[in-house]
Amino acid sequence: MTKTMMLQSRIEALLFVVGDDGLTIKQLALLLSEAEELVAQTMDSLRTAYDEDLTRGITIKEIAGVYQLTTKHELADTIQRLVENPTAQSLSQASLEVLAIVAYKQPITRVAVEDLRGVKCERPLQTLASRGLVKEVGRSEGTGRAILYGTTKEFLNYFGLNSIEEMPPLPEEEQGDTEQETDLFMTKFQETFSGAK
Amino acid sequence: MSYEVKLEAFSGPLDLLLHLIHRLEIDIYDIPMAEITQQYIDHIHAMQVLELNEASEYLVMAATLLAIKSRMLLPIHEGELEDAELEVDGPDPREELVQRLIEYKKYKEAASNLQELESDRAQVFTRPPADLSGLASDEQMALFDLNVNIYDMLGAFQKLMRRKKLKKPLKTTVARQERSVRDQMRSVVHSLRATGGRASFFELFPYEDKPTLILTFLSLLELMKRQVVIVQQDGNFEELTVTLQKEEWDDDENNDATK
Repeated sequence: MTKTMMLQSRIEALLFVVGDDGLTIKQLALLLSEAEELVAQTMDSLRTAYDEDLTRGITIKEIAGVYQLTTKHELADTIQRLVENPTAQSLSQASLEVLAIVAYKQPITRVAVEDLRGVKCERPLQTLASRGLVKEVGRSEGTGRAILYGTTKEFLNYFGLNSIEEMPPLPEEEQGDTEQETDLFMTKFQETFSGAK
Repeated sequence: MSYEVKLEAFSGPLDLLLHLIHRLEIDIYDIPMAEITQQYIDHIHAMQVLELNEASEYLVMAATLLAIKSRMLLPIHEGELEDAELEVDGPDPREELVQRLIEYKKYKEAASNLQELESDRAQVFTRPPADLSGLASDEQMALFDLNVNIYDMLGAFQKLMRRKKLKKPLKTTVARQERSVRDQMRSVVHSLRATGGRASFFELFPYEDKPTLILTFLSLLELMKRQVVIVQQDGNFEELTVTLQKEEWDDDENNDATK
């Protein structure tokens, strides 16, 4: 029994016990009294071993910054048989739009979200807050000290992201040179008419 | 029971506009205002949005479209450029609308990206953590976790309100005795000591008026927060038991015990 094998089994046991609370490399290193680097390496080899072994139904994933044992993606159908009529409690279109705006533009006030969508967003925000996906992260400076919203750790967990930086980049509209042209036009326009004051 | 059938559920006026632009294959940078306004208005008629809140937002957009349309119909004579009545806030009255549409479209796409992540994540299952409370001492557990949550507490309080026949004072006294949560905390600790450091939740509530009940409840929550007492429940719907943990506690008002 090599030290690596020993370490792998200890990591596996710890991950099993903590379930979806998961553990970070740092926490594992402390618990195992080993160097973080070694723990990270061992974690990688353990994860690869799980993924490559097709006789195994579970694997390790890093979600919201912690390593946790999960079932394998391709076995979802098998698991869903446990439930007679599986219905995923997925978010509504409105909630998803609000959440996308909060995620990319946080910290952001409700009014700013509403301006962008052109619709009242009170209800979707409440839904999102009650599901722990967004939370109050502060108050804005101006009058009224409006609540600023941001995403939570549960948000990362819900979408299987490791950190907020892992969000897919915001789709960008390829804008031609219209803006530049407009600027040029305006400059010309001002030059031409400023004399006519 | 009848239910309405909406043509299509849009998540707002901008969403509806994008849908029309897409359907009519219009260049977003060159929107034919007359056509889109007509289509838009027809659409909200057909949708019959009953909810006033929502309808109003669609109507505001309709008004905006009409305003842009009419501004585009106005001929701009060179001589009128200095006229303050005429807003020349850009070369094209449609500019602002186009910017809003483009901005909204970005986040609409981002939302559908999130939706993919969501369904992807739903394919993967995890377990809740194992219960390690058997390994820990009571005091350690109290630090980790209350074994009753606020809903248990509120439930107990509701039960209490039902159980205690509230004694209505026979005559109203004008000068009310104001007591603070801190005073009540002391008296709760005091009565716990009297019963050997343990009492059922209901025993701690003297047969009194509503304000006192609420005051006692708040003081109990505060004592739990400071871990002067722990509240336990042996099983669902069982009675809550309050146990005194510390003989001494910091009576300081600004004590933020984070430990």
